[in-house]
Amino acid sequence: MAEQVTSPKNETTSRPIPAWFDVRKRRVGSWAFALNRLTGLGLVLYLFLHLIVLSTLLRGPEAWDQFLAIARSPLYLLLDVVLIFGLLFHALNGIRVALVGMGIGANNQKTLFWVLAALAAILLVVSAYLVFTK
Amino acid sequence: MSTTTISRERSKNSAGAIWITQAISGLLLIVILATHMIAHHFVVEEGLRDFEQVLDYISNPFIFALEVVFLVVATTHALLGVRAVILDIGLSDGAKRTLNWILAIIGGITLIYGFWLAISLQQLA
Repeated sequence: MAEQVTSPKNETTSRPIPAWFDVRKRRVGSWAFALNRLTGLGLVLYLFLHLIVLSTLLRGPEAWDQFLAIARSPLYLLLDVVLIFGLLFHALNGIRVALVGMGIGANNQKTLFWVLAALAAILLVVSAYLVFTK
Repeated sequence: MSTTTISRERSKNSAGAIWITQAISGLLLIVILATHMIAHHFVVEEGLRDFEQVLDYISNPFIFALEVVFLVVATTHALLGVRAVILDIGLSDGAKRTLNWILAIIGGITLIYGFWLAISLQQLA
């Protein structure tokens, strides 16, 4: 299982979740595992918030326009970039975890991580540009 | 084969099936989410559709189907992920069963709400 490849469980077995935040003597895989879980939880929260916000549409055009005014503010756009970072990291690290879990690139997972991290960084810059200029 | 061994085998098979479901739904999400982000945000002036544009968008049967599939896949992937995080705490078998039920109920409510929302918007269009 991919979880076993990247989980920090082997390093600290007694307090698994607090162990995510223990930054001492950690390898890249453990950092990726912790960040994957944190971005995942953030995205779950966003999914439910997004569904709630979409119900604004049922209150008509005026309510939706009010939401759009807030959604186009610089602070909100900055939060969009944070969201895109979470999506990109979770998606690309997820691809790495799935590949390694299937035995593909298991011996080169550190290289795979950095290649995908570079791809995520490029896509994040492009997305941030589009968010602030569209 | 003892009851404990059978139980362990079942648990192992179930964990494997959940891992595969998580991997496939994750892959599907990447494709659907990329389509959603481009079609719904990046090609739209100012990044967000106005009221009429949203109704036009959702009235397209292909888009409607895509958004419904997106809802189902995202909810499945999200709740399986939450389950994996909570299981990290180390739960008893009874607590695991309770957790499965709670997540199934949350998933059911989310899907019903999402379908209702999508259908209501399509009826407005």
